[in-house]
Amino acid sequence: MPRRKIPILVLPLLALFLLGGTHAQTLNVVATSSSMGALVREVGADHTRLTVLAPPDRDIHHLQARPSMIRDLRRADLVVAIGAELETGWLPVALRQAANPAILPGRRGYFEAAAQVPLDGAGASADRAHGDVHPTGNPHVNMDPLRMADIAQALAERLAELTPNHTEEFRQRAAAFIREINQHLPGWKAAVADAPGALLYHRDADYLFARLGVPILGYIEPVPGVPPTARHIRKLSERLSDRDGMVIHAPYYSSRAPEKLAQTLGWKRVSLTTEPPLEADGKGYLAHIERWVVALAANRP
Amino acid sequence: MNDRTLISAAIAAALALPVGAHAEADITGIKRILEQMRTDYEERIAELEAQQAYKASRADERPSYGAVTSGTKFNPQISLILNGNYYADSIDGEGAKRFGAADGIHDAHGHDDGHGHEHGGSEQGFNLGDTELVFSATVDPYFDATANLAISSDGDVELEEAWLQTRGLPAGLKVKAGKFFSDIGYANNQHPHQWDFVDQNLAYLNLLGDHGLRDTGAQVTWLPDWNTYTLFGLELLQGEQEKLGALVEEGDPLNLDDEERGPRLATAFVKVSPELGYNHALQLGGWSAWAGQHQEEHEEPVEHALEGDASMWGLDSIYKYDAGRGYGAGDIKLQAEYLWQRKELHVAYHESNASIVGAERRFTEDGFYLQGLYGIAPRWQAGLRYDRVGVFENRKESGGATLDEYDDSSRWTAALSWTPSEFSQLRLQYSRADMSVEQERETFDTVYLQYTMSLGAHGAHTF
Repeated sequence: MPRRKIPILVLPLLALFLLGGTHAQTLNVVATSSSMGALVREVGADHTRLTVLAPPDRDIHHLQARPSMIRDLRRADLVVAIGAELETGWLPVALRQAANPAILPGRRGYFEAAAQVPLDGAGASADRAHGDVHPTGNPHVNMDPLRMADIAQALAERLAELTPNHTEEFRQRAAAFIREINQHLPGWKAAVADAPGALLYHRDADYLFARLGVPILGYIEPVPGVPPTARHIRKLSERLSDRDGMVIHAPYYSSRAPEKLAQTLGWKRVSLTTEPPLEADGKGYLAHIERWVVALAANRP
Repeated sequence: MNDRTLISAAIAAALALPVGAHAEADITGIKRILEQMRTDYEERIAELEAQQAYKASRADERPSYGAVTSGTKFNPQISLILNGNYYADSIDGEGAKRFGAADGIHDAHGHDDGHGHEHGGSEQGFNLGDTELVFSATVDPYFDATANLAISSDGDVELEEAWLQTRGLPAGLKVKAGKFFSDIGYANNQHPHQWDFVDQNLAYLNLLGDHGLRDTGAQVTWLPDWNTYTLFGLELLQGEQEKLGALVEEGDPLNLDDEERGPRLATAFVKVSPELGYNHALQLGGWSAWAGQHQEEHEEPVEHALEGDASMWGLDSIYKYDAGRGYGAGDIKLQAEYLWQRKELHVAYHESNASIVGAERRFTEDGFYLQGLYGIAPRWQAGLRYDRVGVFENRKESGGATLDEYDDSSRWTAALSWTPSEFSQLRLQYSRADMSVEQERETFDTVYLQYTMSLGAHGAHTF
């Protein structure tokens, strides 16, 4: 009798084992933001199971290290962060608590986008009199399509290191994404060729403006991470009173100061996220950049 | 190169063309073509140049596994936290001292633990709180370590924490060793600068002391790979604690047992957090602690000593709502904990009444607090707290008979905090307390105006 029971017990175990085997081929990837999530979807496709920690309507500088994030990191094979201390308020502590050595900085399972590309403003003085500064450079690389192209390529290599079976596919998908970005870029530039520029809230779209050749007219924050003062708003409106432009800010910032400035200057105010929708892939990312281009182009003389 | 040759040829051709009326249309056509070519050419060059410059600026083509950080090379990350306050109360400056002396199992005898350094012992007027100096670093691929020094306004230095923690253990395991704040409860492992109010809640202050449960020992935590965040922890501690598992030095004349070999204090805890999406987060926890040896020496009314064991348990819950607006506006944080403590002691020595030596003395006391914070505007936070000790139990028993029933003490606190940046905070706090201290009941008010400054590489805080 016991003999007959053994196969009955072994079969489900074997099935579990086999399932576990195929399971291992799908990488558990945790992206801190939806732009990083878009890259993972685009390059990793169905060889990755993706979790995004921050939705696009949140200020990624200031998140809580929620226990569910720690749970997601606990089972991750790879974490994809924007990096350069952008997530410093919550990611290091979440990583430390996740008890998952494979994804700690310095390991293969830790991918930081900002570490794959050069950053503007690196080496600036680390003096907090200038606000919540990033002495390592502006971390908002997700808003530069060309840097994202390089990051996609680096991500393909990293994914390939973790699942060598799919190396070619990852590389091809990254190459296709890079081609698409390069195809779109001239059109975007042309569309905003003589746009008068925009006033931003935070230095979170600088890379995009530089890439498109559109001037940034100023920042609503007096220094990074500090909400606008009445004096700063007054100075901005005095300085900009004789020119054309628009106000763009992320939805999580209070619209009061932007609205006031827009009214005083007679400009248009637009609320745009610096992150694509939660479910975005490469196309979703391009559409996200396109939204900025359209908004800027709409303001041309 | 081809473009250039082509243009040169075109220019040569254009120059060589005889000027004639019939040729004018051709010339316009050629001019247009030339113009078009020139524009294309310039665009292409600009594009290539931009790409070249960008590629050239790429520092290192090798894959980078690291984090871009301003961390100062091989030095540990250092942060310095300054805090100070202006304090006033309605009972001649006694208020802040009374909060930690509520009637109950510790202070029924006017017990003084001789503990000099205090977080809450503010005098009326200006006070400089402890200055916290924190060093932390990744030691090597295997360990992280942190040391935290508290420097009092007199310049006394106390080692708040000094611990190492493993980085590389498999299966969700982590081991911590050294001197550290126990991870029981929610508020226990928080440093004063992390508190949402100027002072510690009555439950922690009276049942665990100024520092909460903090001791030297080792901790193992296990975070299983489950769909619901669940963390298990076990701690073995030496038992050199301020309130739970305290020991009396020089126990001989008091007929107290010798200090048993450590560890004498053990704790266990579990924390669970259901998945509630991006906006909400909830964590529930339960814990218990057991001290195998506990001794007390009291001078009042006459010198006597007690010894035995002590145990505690507690429940904690924390809920946070992220409104998704800038600078904390609209965010909500609700926090509540319940603590229960029992000491099973017997009289070991009594100066004037030797007959009660050996008699049982069982002390039981509990406490709780409930507090809420709301982001009333960007950078502005309003808080309200109710805390109480002696909620259901606060008594002394012997052989099943109640000898003493202590009064409860409670307090209402309101606070308004302004955080100009991530690194500075000003707070105004008002409390109305109804405290029973040394069998006397008194209602009094306290006011604090507090500043907290974080200098240097200030690390992130846990949930």
